[in-house]
Amino acid sequence: MIRFENVSKTYKNGTSALKNISLDIEKGEFVFLVGASGSGKTTFLRLLLREEHPDQGRILEAGRDIGDLPKWRVPYLRRNIGCVFQDFRLLPNKSVFENVAFALEVIGRPRSTVESQVPQILELVGLTDKSKNLPHELSGGEQQRVAVARAFVNRPLILLADEPTGNLDPSNSESIMALLERINRTGTTVVMATHDKVLVDRMRRRVVELDRGEMIRDQVRGVYGIDEGVTI
Amino acid sequence: MRVYFRYALKETISNLWRNRMMTIAAVLTVAVSLSLVGSALLLKQSAAQASVVWQQGTRVSVWMQPTASTSEISGVRSQLADLPIVKNCVYYTQAQDLKEAKQLLPQNEWGVLTVSTMPSSFSCVPTVPSDAFVVINTFEKLPGVYQVTAPGQQIREMNKVIRVLQIVFLALAAVLLLSASVLILNTIRMAIFARRREVSVMKLVGATNWFIRIPYIIEGFIQGLLGAAVAIVAVTALHIWYPLHNEFQLNTSALLGTNAVVLVVGVAIGSVGSAIAIRRFLDV
Repeated sequence: MIRFENVSKTYKNGTSALKNISLDIEKGEFVFLVGASGSGKTTFLRLLLREEHPDQGRILEAGRDIGDLPKWRVPYLRRNIGCVFQDFRLLPNKSVFENVAFALEVIGRPRSTVESQVPQILELVGLTDKSKNLPHELSGGEQQRVAVARAFVNRPLILLADEPTGNLDPSNSESIMALLERINRTGTTVVMATHDKVLVDRMRRRVVELDRGEMIRDQVRGVYGIDEGVTI
Repeated sequence: MRVYFRYALKETISNLWRNRMMTIAAVLTVAVSLSLVGSALLLKQSAAQASVVWQQGTRVSVWMQPTASTSEISGVRSQLADLPIVKNCVYYTQAQDLKEAKQLLPQNEWGVLTVSTMPSSFSCVPTVPSDAFVVINTFEKLPGVYQVTAPGQQIREMNKVIRVLQIVFLALAAVLLLSASVLILNTIRMAIFARRREVSVMKLVGATNWFIRIPYIIEGFIQGLLGAAVAIVAVTALHIWYPLHNEFQLNTSALLGTNAVVLVVGVAIGSVGSAIAIRRFLDV
């Protein structure tokens, strides 16, 4: 589903964010991306969204080199990738329902699709009774569930999550993880960058560890790390 | 498509309302500058039309000495008749000229005139207006001729004044148009800046650039359109109510043409301004 071939990325200020990364992620896999701040996790995700271009190497998604995509095709690429962030990125003046519906509206889905899909996904994330609330009326955990619902509502092939539990307490983190797992079970590939040792250790999924741009570990059913005490 | 149409319209209206002060400023600036553009265009057309009328009516007057003998007069008459560049001539006797002078001059001036002191004259129409000078040069030196005059000089002076006025108007209008486009650009930029979160989310979930761009372009389009509408009212009012001498008075089709130019310029400035404004925010 996702393939990195000798990908390197250096930012204009000279920071080397990724160094010669090669990696395959199969369809339906759940991958944790771990590493200290500045290790290149976010760059990795941004490359997948084509918010950045690699300096060297190729990135393939669903068998397609995304470097070859013309600029106008990029939005269509993103329709196949859902995104969740640490800071939720909900629209403050839209209700829960509208926030989720927005993702369908801007890609031109008809109203009938919106009206059938949104309640369904809100039920999946357990927020049916809050659909009319505004984001600031919700807890952090609930807001993140709205964000997950928005990312998943048009059934993307890939779900990217950049520290989705970074702002949440353990019990809310648990519920987000349960949600991501459920989404993963539908066949969606999930790539999640995280600092949360407890979650990673408990889930026992594939772990890719980055350190100053280099991939130092790629472990099936891994744990957060042996030297995790010094990270974060 | 219908879904999108509804969406774009809703977005546009809410944008316009949210930034209503800036919208009003932009619309008024467009209106003022386009009014000037329109007036300058009207002035230009008026002047061009009047100058054609004047030149067609150019008459060269050959004034004879009051003391000119009959043979001198008939000599001038036959020479004028032989000259191919002169279309036709009318002879005014001393009495006729006195009568005309009485109509043109105030009483204290014509009171001293008598038939014997009035020059008789030939009023001639040259085939081509610019040939008036040839007539002047040919007849000025002939015996019995007092003076040869043509209104060409005044026409030229008038044209010069009008040309300067046009340049001033157009320069002023250009500056104002520029400021109008900057204002529209700024309005749109503020609107987008206020909603950059929304725009970034739209990009995130895969909205195309055109999807994001169109409501803002419509917004600029409407601002330009409103400005142009006000300007059209102003230009039309000027056309209807400003008292102009006959030869300046333009017909309705000239007015319509001017208004069409005003409309197109206004709409173009609005749309292009907003398209430029949004470009920066759409870069991935």
